[in-house]
Amino acid sequence: MSNSVNISVETTCENQIREIGYDGTELYQPPPTLSESLAKCAARIDFSKTSLDDLKKEEKTAAAATEDDKDATQFQESLWPWDAVRNKLKDALTEICVLSDVISVAKDKRYLVLDPLLEEADDTKPIVQVYSRKKAISQAAQVLLGGAERLRSAHSEQRSRNVSDFHIELLRLRQNWRLKKVSNAIIGDLSYRTAGSKFGMSGTFEVTKAEEAADEDAPTSSNNSSSGTSGNNGMQLKASSALRVIVPAELQGVAYIKVITQKDQEDLCTAQVNLMGHGPNITAQTGVWQKTLEFAQNVLFCKELFAQLAREAIQLQAPIPHVVIGNQIRATLLPNIQLIISLCHSTTFDSSQPAPINDHDHVLEHSLHQLLREVHYKNSHHPFPHPASAPLGPTKKRMLAGPMAADRETLLDMTKSQTILEQIIAQAQHIFMRKRTQYVLDTLARDVKDPQIVSHWNAMNSPTMSCVKINIVTHGYDAIGRTSLVIHVKERSLKCICRDGRVMRLSYEPQELRDLILCQINSHQISCLISLARCMAWTVLSNSNHLGIGKVEPLGNASSCLLASPNSDRMIAVQIRCDPQIDVKVYIARSPRQDFFPSPLVPEKLWENLGGNFKEVRFDKIEGKSFLNKMEFLMASLTSNSS
Amino acid sequence: MGVTVLQPYPLPEGKSGAHIIDQLSKRLLSLGATHAGQFLVDCESYISTPQPHNGSPGRAVHVLHDSEHPASTFSIIDNGTGKQVALVADNSFDLLMGKVTNTFTSKKQTKIESRGARFEYGDFVIKLGSVTMMEHFKGILIEIEYKACVILAYCWEMIREVLQGFLGIGVGKDFPSYFATQTIMTAMGQQQLHAKHNDIFEPMDTVKQYLEQFTNYRKHVALLGGMGSGPGGPPVHMSPSVVGHAHRP
Repeated sequence: MSNSVNISVETTCENQIREIGYDGTELYQPPPTLSESLAKCAARIDFSKTSLDDLKKEEKTAAAATEDDKDATQFQESLWPWDAVRNKLKDALTEICVLSDVISVAKDKRYLVLDPLLEEADDTKPIVQVYSRKKAISQAAQVLLGGAERLRSAHSEQRSRNVSDFHIELLRLRQNWRLKKVSNAIIGDLSYRTAGSKFGMSGTFEVTKAEEAADEDAPTSSNNSSSGTSGNNGMQLKASSALRVIVPAELQGVAYIKVITQKDQEDLCTAQVNLMGHGPNITAQTGVWQKTLEFAQNVLFCKELFAQLAREAIQLQAPIPHVVIGNQIRATLLPNIQLIISLCHSTTFDSSQPAPINDHDHVLEHSLHQLLREVHYKNSHHPFPHPASAPLGPTKKRMLAGPMAADRETLLDMTKSQTILEQIIAQAQHIFMRKRTQYVLDTLARDVKDPQIVSHWNAMNSPTMSCVKINIVTHGYDAIGRTSLVIHVKERSLKCICRDGRVMRLSYEPQELRDLILCQINSHQISCLISLARCMAWTVLSNSNHLGIGKVEPLGNASSCLLASPNSDRMIAVQIRCDPQIDVKVYIARSPRQDFFPSPLVPEKLWENLGGNFKEVRFDKIEGKSFLNKMEFLMASLTSNSS
Repeated sequence: MGVTVLQPYPLPEGKSGAHIIDQLSKRLLSLGATHAGQFLVDCESYISTPQPHNGSPGRAVHVLHDSEHPASTFSIIDNGTGKQVALVADNSFDLLMGKVTNTFTSKKQTKIESRGARFEYGDFVIKLGSVTMMEHFKGILIEIEYKACVILAYCWEMIREVLQGFLGIGVGKDFPSYFATQTIMTAMGQQQLHAKHNDIFEPMDTVKQYLEQFTNYRKHVALLGGMGSGPGGPPVHMSPSVVGHAHRP
């Protein structure tokens, strides 16, 4: 029904291989010529069988017997092709026989004599031979010299030229970047699409051969021709590459993201996001195109990051709205403190440009990079398990929420996620809070000498929370008492946990922390004094943390302590206020009182034991390095051996 | 996730379910509770086919959903002799049940649900549900959850007090029937008294209580259907609560 299929039949035409050369060429035996094939066929003939006598006998027998007629004719017919051969051979035999007869007759010398012929003298001179040999050898020498010359020039060219072969360069390029061949052109992709990015801008570049004149030109022109962008460092390049990459116009140049925390127009810290400086230094092996492509990829990454941040800045509802102007995003961290993220893209590299700002905040730089990479990763990697009959994508917690009967609040918490902008704002806020807390603690530790404030910051912390443990000790009296508290520094607030279990939440104002520490110092002094008094065998009559006496203070009330000597003949009253500095007032009283005189109203002498008035001590004049030291001396001096 | 107790509310004569719900909602709102959405608990039962020949009712699979655990589907297999096997699964379980229709057929007539408003009252979550089966109103089921505790024995008194406070009916001092002491066989083969009210509460317990109540409602349909008095008559088991009415101050 359908068209017939043509079948071609051909012989294999395989000739035997005679020799295989060193460079792989195979020398075939040439097919046999006609004379050779004839000789082969002739060799198959067995002349002993096909002699004339046998043939005649066979003819006779064939003629005699009628039954053998057919056989004879058949036999004779089979002889037909060789008939001519037979005849020719018969003639040849005749000739040979004649020749042998003549030679044997001539040998006898009776009837026939052979005379030699005179040969002509050979008058070729040896010099002609020499000339012919010389010419032949010189021709051979020419061939050899020509080959050697070609080899030498290729070898020296290989070594001398700096520009590698286009293909070697292409191989290096392909080892680092994704390339594919589209009709005649080689197109590469430097985007992060295979890493999970969903950014719309394409990152395709084209690879072409560089112009041939690049090698001999001056270095400046070789700079221009060796890279499609101005991504080189302005150094004089010795090598120019054999290939050239053409990067799209919007990805040319150098870009970086600059993050600044600004407080009322004053720069507090800056950060730069830059992909450069990561990865091994491979420019030694590869050409200029590596730098070009890396810069272009960096530009693409920065653009994607900024586009994502700008989108989120517009979508998010913040108490103070974020502002997006051109290539700058402004967000408010705390009152008067702003976070400015800007995309800086310079298409012409100017070596006179000021050096990049030196005080990078590497943490924010790294964070922004990591956050976008995390988004990419989540796009491409689905959490295990990968069920065959359920949707792919929910996290493991969400997968387990069904069988574990998770309730509505848990499920709602699972759906909450933070955008990149929210996360970076939280991190920046935390950095700021931490710096502020550090500043407050350090200035307090510097200003308050008497109890020492020792702060230990945790080495391990998260981007949005740090912890610091504060110990308030008096030098020399560490064993007597120590006040400790832990402060959790979060993004906009502090949480303070005291040793006795009280939890206080402070806002971002530094004054609150300062006040808290001062109050803690206050209570530390009194509690250490109580312990010290016990060591000195003084009795603690009473103490109070909030006296409620005196003028109203902004920072809580005074704390106080009342001590009695072992003999009960002296009493010490201590009052400590912390407004604004720690203010200590010490009073002593003695019992029995010196100024008791019996009066008609109070006649008995025993009333003198009620204790006298308290007199203030000039505490700053007392010998002693610290409050506790002074109190120890005071107590020691007031202790007396009683009778 | 806390202890949840179901309390059926007896319908007084002449009042409609909606009116009672309205009344209770007003009481709760005046107490200070906040209305926080709606809730739905529904139950669909599948009976195994073919029916076994020896007269036993065959295995039933009850599939329940609770809006409080929206990602889960609960299912309980009842083999007729009282043994129950319970399972908590993802919502894809419903699709699975659709595949086994050859073995288990759904009795659409017995699809029963409790639906209504949800109130949050401090640490309590109170749900006033009207139970309906195929658009017929069956009764009122109150669910109260105390989020701060996971063992009934510790908070039963408080739950009872809150219930009595706003419901106005008397709630018995004993633990609800679901939590009563049961005899179970231990792994050693011995019978042991097991006090369910001392166990840690699980979401499955809520669902099992619902199933128990729904089964009661279904039985009463059958009972009342058999008696010919139709739905809407006072359920028989409510009489102690009716007595409780008299005690209301």
